[in-house]
Amino acid sequence: MDALINPLALYIACALGAVGVALALPTRGVSWRVPGGLLAAGAAGLVILLLSLNASKSDQLPNLYFYAFAALALGSALRMITHPRPVYSALYFILTIIASSGVYVLLAAEFMAFALIIIYAGAILITYLFVIMLATQAPVEGDEESQADYDAEAREPLVAAGVGFVLLAILTTMMFNGLSDLAPKSDPVEREEMVLKSIPLKVDRVLADAALLEENERVGRIGGEGVSEAAIDVEQRTIVIENTETGENRSLDAEQWPEGLYATNTEMVGYSLMREHPGAIEIAGVILLMAMLGATVLSRRQVEIDEEAKAHEARRLHGSEGPS
Amino acid sequence: MNDLLGSITLAQTDFPEAMGTLTLAHYLFLSAAMFALGLIGFVTRRNLIVMFLCTELMFQASGVALIAFSRFHLNHTGQTFVIFVLTVAAAEAAMALALVVLLFRKRESLSTEVWTEMSG
Repeated sequence: MDALINPLALYIACALGAVGVALALPTRGVSWRVPGGLLAAGAAGLVILLLSLNASKSDQLPNLYFYAFAALALGSALRMITHPRPVYSALYFILTIIASSGVYVLLAAEFMAFALIIIYAGAILITYLFVIMLATQAPVEGDEESQADYDAEAREPLVAAGVGFVLLAILTTMMFNGLSDLAPKSDPVEREEMVLKSIPLKVDRVLADAALLEENERVGRIGGEGVSEAAIDVEQRTIVIENTETGENRSLDAEQWPEGLYATNTEMVGYSLMREHPGAIEIAGVILLMAMLGATVLSRRQVEIDEEAKAHEARRLHGSEGPS
Repeated sequence: MNDLLGSITLAQTDFPEAMGTLTLAHYLFLSAAMFALGLIGFVTRRNLIVMFLCTELMFQASGVALIAFSRFHLNHTGQTFVIFVLTVAAAEAAMALALVVLLFRKRESLSTEVWTEMSG
């Protein structure tokens, strides 16, 4: 852990962050929101500074992109949980999503980065915005700035922030101490060739583009037409090329492979999804179907407003007209 | 042990050099911080919709951790599981928001305290 960050500094930063978040959460009366937010941001800045200082000590350039995206994600997450207006919370959450999809790109997960923006920011968050706009009390006449009690006041901010940051301190301690027992194990090259094997048409195209295929030649197929795989020997790293007219075979060694012959991130994820987890896709489909049915059944019901709610609403409207 | 942690970078051989200077722990710290913020939001906010937004933030944090581990092990199963996290998040959003609209129409309020007692 000392290699990355001084534990004492980390715990001090966690304590500062807890106090900052607790102050930044919405309250009625005197507002400490701005100093609280600044304090929490300062704590995050302290951690980032320490991490990057140590990184430069061990001959590692701090990666500016990562720190920028991390600061953006955490800052907007903080603003999201502290903003008293739900619409702004949702908008700040979209910013968090975009920042974390930037982190995904840094981690070479391009497909998931774009899927995240399309599905989360594009579909789920828009649904949230719709519901927020549907289910908000109309402002009382002449007092548009007023907020509902449940938005304006947080519940137990100090205790919750304390507990949350204790959890963060424990998690980071465990992470920085225990992880090094894990070593990366798999052989990426072999996996990549497994994927290439299952997309013979792409291998054909790449080889043809690199002018490695003569006329009437194509990559050999295993398993006949239709469900065929490309004839790639994963262990020897050779590709068998067959001539469709004469039926002769020749093989292409790894040194001759063109540069464009690799499986992209999307192909790797697709292979992992369809070949290794076909059952999970079925279950995901059932979950989505159930959610659709449930939402339809719920929204078909006729709803009567409670007597209590009617009385409450009447009191609210009445109270705003008379002296309060 | 610390040595190993410092030296394991997330770089693949053909990846640009400047990308490879971060360790797994950096990404896990980001994920843990996002999760903690989501948890604090879930506990403190009293608006039903904002509470569900905070659960989405926690989903997001788990996604960052999954992708970081997937990169660390150079195994794409982690990325595949983020797809399932997205599926569950979408299903949850559909159900939860339908419920929230139903509850709002009944009591004209999004507060959690209105629903401290439910029957049937």
